Amino acid sequence: MRISRHAETIWHFIFMVTVLVMVFPIIYAFGMSFKPLEDAYNNVLNILPINASLENYRTLFASLPVLKITMNTFVVASVATVFKLVTSFLAAYAFVYFKFKGKEVIYFLLIGTIFIPFTVTMIPNYLIISEIGMLDSVWGVILPQLADAVGIFLIHQAMKNIPGSLIEVARLDNMGHGRIMKDIVLPLVRPAVTSVGIWFFIGTWNEFVWPVLVLKTTENYTLPLALQMFISSEGGTNFTVAMAVSVITMIIPLILYLSFQKYIIGTFTSSGIK
Amino acid sequence: MKEIKFEHVKKSYGDTEVVKDLNFTIKEGERLILLGPSGCGKSTILRMIAGLEDITAGNLFMNGQKVNDIPSGKRNVSMVFQNYALYPHMTVKQNIIYGLKVKKVDKEEIEKRLEFVLEMLQLKGYEDRLPKQLSGGQRQRVALARATVKRSDFFLLDEPLSNLDAQLRVSARKELKKIHEMLGQTIVYVTHDQIEAMTFADRIVLMYNGELQMIDTPENVYHRPANVFTAKFIGSPPTNILEMELGDGSVKIGKQSFLLNDLWKQQISQIGAEELLFGIRPEHTELSAIPLPNGLRGQVKYVENQGDNYGVYLDVDGQELIAMSENGNWHDGQDAYVRPFMEKFHFFFKNTEKNIGYPQQMKVVEELHYLEEGKVTV
Repeated sequence: MRISRHAETIWHFIFMVTVLVMVFPIIYAFGMSFKPLEDAYNNVLNILPINASLENYRTLFASLPVLKITMNTFVVASVATVFKLVTSFLAAYAFVYFKFKGKEVIYFLLIGTIFIPFTVTMIPNYLIISEIGMLDSVWGVILPQLADAVGIFLIHQAMKNIPGSLIEVARLDNMGHGRIMKDIVLPLVRPAVTSVGIWFFIGTWNEFVWPVLVLKTTENYTLPLALQMFISSEGGTNFTVAMAVSVITMIIPLILYLSFQKYIIGTFTSSGIK
Repeated sequence: MKEIKFEHVKKSYGDTEVVKDLNFTIKEGERLILLGPSGCGKSTILRMIAGLEDITAGNLFMNGQKVNDIPSGKRNVSMVFQNYALYPHMTVKQNIIYGLKVKKVDKEEIEKRLEFVLEMLQLKGYEDRLPKQLSGGQRQRVALARATVKRSDFFLLDEPLSNLDAQLRVSARKELKKIHEMLGQTIVYVTHDQIEAMTFADRIVLMYNGELQMIDTPENVYHRPANVFTAKFIGSPPTNILEMELGDGSVKIGKQSFLLNDLWKQQISQIGAEELLFGIRPEHTELSAIPLPNGLRGQVKYVENQGDNYGVYLDVDGQELIAMSENGNWHDGQDAYVRPFMEKFHFFFKNTEKNIGYPQQMKVVEELHYLEEGKVTV
């Protein structure tokens, strides 16, 4: 498509504004985390701190077991992600490559669960977790998140794009399903699996409502819960310390994004396997 | 015995019967072509042999063993797909030897076989490329190489050349023949291209609407078509099929007629049929601007340039007849005279469209050079 120079300038301008709007809060939070609290309340919108100090981080580390909390968050996010990916991949494989009675109906019902709001399942989940004695434990947060219909749907779509003849060649070579999955299907849907994985990881990493229901002691908290301690009625509103928590919360997902950027972008731009 | 035997084999998808009651045997070491228009069931037959499709009814035997319930991987077949089905994430070498690795073939043996196919199919130097870095012809050769290294008893090919240009097809056909001569597998080859079928096959199975129309050598399929469909499908332009009436020792087409020789008279009287169709290939006619003895008169409707000669479409008393001519100086509406060569006549029953047969004295293979040898029976 040919775009005129004039239109190109306009588009660039729009993109720049969009990027700025999205990046601004991050830079603002980063700057704020190094400011003394009184600076945060003055009217001057200085993005970067004038009297930069690590005071907020010191306060944070003194008042909370930050490493433990970060670790909790990491365990919840990674265990849930790995399980969701494994179950999604296996279920998608079965839906694409196995013939069984009622396949369409089961798939339809499963995908239908995507549209059930979290608030509907929240209470039953809570009761079950409490019944089996998993309250106030990261495993209680993880347990209801071991499978996800969104993952099944997205990986199913990617698998359907693999030409059937590739699987048939494998069958003619007397390959079993395990080998077909490992050597043929997985390498071909890897971009989809990776981006679904990132999606799951970030989602669980940022999760607030479900952990806040399950976790009681600060020791067992995840980072979003730590964040609300500084900006809620119970914890007072210490914005600068809260921003320090935000910065810590951001670091791991950011590293993850940067390392898997190639796959994530690849998933959105690729148009199937030729 | 590397033979494949179909015994009342049927295939249906729900109520749709795509292959109807198939009975034939593919002989050991034979090059058999499954030919027919799209949707005739030829690919389904191939996939049933491969074990990629279940058989709805009947029995399929391979190597003398009933294989209805034997999975693909245990049938000792290799297959080349129309889209080549190369693993996009594996290099040429990995693609070729992957099946052998799965089979746990000895490393040295793998290397030996790899060398052999790379050499034979001119793929040396491409071992480490990915399929996307290859041209269509190269991909096709990799697919052939992958199927060849397996050294299976049965070699199945599903329109393997249809994505190649005309020149590459010719060379790929040669390569295929070479592979077959070296390894002697039983080859089953699906195509809708009659030239491919004619040049490559030992025998052709012609399919239409899930039914077997004819199974025979290319010569017989061309010269002795079993029915109207076969006559029309093989050859380009297609065989002329004309409505006719039998006169006293003559064939009447519209208001015109030409005489039959004694062989044909005898043949037709033996059959005792009354309603017949007359068939003649365009290339088995003589076309002239001046009246020909024992010929038909028609008007030129359309002239088609075919390179080395011209297809002249005539209107003969309301029926279309195509004749070949070496010159293209025909103009629409012009009177033209056609004489069909008597040795090349075909007659079909009008109701069943089946061939009535040929006089015994008419041999198929020896080309009867009609005019030169002066065998004209006027």
